[in-house]
Amino acid sequence: MSNKALKLFFILILISFFTSIKSRSASFKTKRINILMPAPFAESTKPLVDDFNKKEKGLIKLRVTKGPLETEAVSDLAISSLLLGKSPFDVILIDVTWLPKYAAAGWLEPMDKWINTENWHSLANGARLGNTYNNQIYRWPLVADMGLLYWRTDLLEKPPKTPEELIEVSLNLKRKGLITYGYVWQGRQYEGLSCVFLEVLNAFGGEWLSKESKQINLKSKESNNAAKWLKELITSGASPSSVTNFSETESLQAFETGQAALMRNWPYAWAELQKETSLVKGKVGVTTMVSKNGISPTATLGSWGFSILKSSSNKDAAYKAIEFLTSVESQKKLFLINGYTPTKKIVFKDKELKRTAPLITVLEKALSISKPRPQTPLYAQISNVLQTQLSTILTNQITPEKGMALAHEKSQKIISSASIKR
Amino acid sequence: MNILLLLPALILIFIVFVIPIVRYYWLSIHASSVMTGLIPVPNNGSNWLRILSDDRFWQDLFQTLRFTFTSVTIEILLAIVIALLLNQKFQGRGIIRAISLLPWALPTTIMALGWRWIFNTPYGPIEQIFTLLGIGTINILSNPHLAWIATVIADVWKTTPFIMIILLAGLQTIPSDLYEAFKLEGGTEIQSFFKITFPLLQPYLIISILFRIAQAFGVFDLIQVMTGGGPANSTESLGLYAYINSMRFLDFGYSATIIFLTFIILIGFCILGWLLISQSKRFLSSEI
Repeated sequence: MSNKALKLFFILILISFFTSIKSRSASFKTKRINILMPAPFAESTKPLVDDFNKKEKGLIKLRVTKGPLETEAVSDLAISSLLLGKSPFDVILIDVTWLPKYAAAGWLEPMDKWINTENWHSLANGARLGNTYNNQIYRWPLVADMGLLYWRTDLLEKPPKTPEELIEVSLNLKRKGLITYGYVWQGRQYEGLSCVFLEVLNAFGGEWLSKESKQINLKSKESNNAAKWLKELITSGASPSSVTNFSETESLQAFETGQAALMRNWPYAWAELQKETSLVKGKVGVTTMVSKNGISPTATLGSWGFSILKSSSNKDAAYKAIEFLTSVESQKKLFLINGYTPTKKIVFKDKELKRTAPLITVLEKALSISKPRPQTPLYAQISNVLQTQLSTILTNQITPEKGMALAHEKSQKIISSASIKR
Repeated sequence: MNILLLLPALILIFIVFVIPIVRYYWLSIHASSVMTGLIPVPNNGSNWLRILSDDRFWQDLFQTLRFTFTSVTIEILLAIVIALLLNQKFQGRGIIRAISLLPWALPTTIMALGWRWIFNTPYGPIEQIFTLLGIGTINILSNPHLAWIATVIADVWKTTPFIMIILLAGLQTIPSDLYEAFKLEGGTEIQSFFKITFPLLQPYLIISILFRIAQAFGVFDLIQVMTGGGPANSTESLGLYAYINSMRFLDFGYSATIIFLTFIILIGFCILGWLLISQSKRFLSSEI
């Protein structure tokens, strides 16, 4: 090596040394927060994140890692990073069904120290559900979500209220040739099917996991009736047989193109139905799910919220970011631009919102009757069992009674073998 | 001295093979799940009791066997034919040989995604062809009785070149004067295949069959991307079931039990296959 080259090399080393010192001292002041979110949320919260970073003036630097689109793929990514020890994330936006699992695994930081009673009661009733495990708060909700019944105001005078009525009006409209499909919902073997079934099960007066005994309760008259009704939707022709392969997207597609009279979907569908491309714009009403006479209807709760990881080294700053992203102002913006259902009571009472977006009243009611799916760390297993059995029932491989009995036994086995382990 | 020379290889095998398997066995007699806060707790073999009565495990084992044997059989037959063809002298042989290896060189996830779209209803080309032929929609990926065949087709497309290249290498070791002598004695081409090519190709066949059985038995990425195990769990392989148990359910004890039992079963099949093949080899060589 020549003398010149050696000097140059030496200088380069010096430069890199000083720059590393500089950047280290800068990071000492700036607290870096990294939040993992599913892709759609990362997109929609981008303006809010920019606002937050501007407001903090470099004291806290919030960065969002855009996760995959599919819910389960996000969970896989989060879990892999958590299993490897120190996760690169400080906060994860988690689904309501993951919470007991993550909390039981010991990955989440209890949030009680930041959230006082007043804070807690600022949440709407339904939005408080699904944030706690063993009486500790582990999640702060960003957006509430619950199952809704969409209906066509140009075809029906009022939406059906009972399961029988729903089949009747669907068949009537089909007979008149006004629509090709009656009622569309989520019948594919996946989590959406569990959500649909929970609403129907409640509508018939049954329950999935009994509250008191924490035992599976699927071997009952009510759950048989619920499964029978879902099957009857297909056999009677009130729903198309291809519904067994429908997720939210396919249901929305059928409803949006004017082929169906009724649809079970989440609040996001409303914003989609208001777009110019929608053939049913201005002809859609929203209400809650049907239920048997004398039984009040319910809506399956699906919501996303922020949890702080135990391994994070900037927990206070992380909570500050969460506070900002879920503030009343932020919730209003997210509702108006993206159609995200708010979680704070006061947002539902906002006069301006009530005037410009009357849907908020329906959302408030639906949220107040929403029910979470069984809150157990074993939820993924028992839901997987239920989905498989429901799919076999709906594709005519087994009778509803036998299918429900099998689902009951298999789920019970999962619960009891887990309790032996303790 | 001989053992000393073997030592580095033995240590490597110990680290990457023996330790994980022992660890899996150890985990399989413990409960290690969310219910125990991911801390392993001895549970008196209740994982093993559970797996014996877990029909999903046995159904997945059946599916894995069905997938393995169908795809390996088709692959071997196809690979023999293609290897024989590519062993002939013709113009552009080098390029054709290189091109025929392409499916093997593609990452599985990418080719699986491609096949998912090929079989897609109503947008995939297969569906379009069937509609043109007037057969109508088959919707193969959402039919519990047919979906597994779609995964076999994708697997055959991907891994036939692998067997083909091993067999082609084998074919090239057979001296051409054997064929010339056989021809002089009045033997036909077909006879020469069964009397010379096939017996001399056997060691290569055995190696590739064993490789492929072990590989196909652990199939994961292809199934995960193409069907995710559905519909109605009909395409779920043991690898996928173990994955779901650990990553989705966070039940590492049970997942380890699945992996360990799969390992034992696979070893059993490999020994059985080895015995069968060496029997037939003895039979064939005595015939010659």
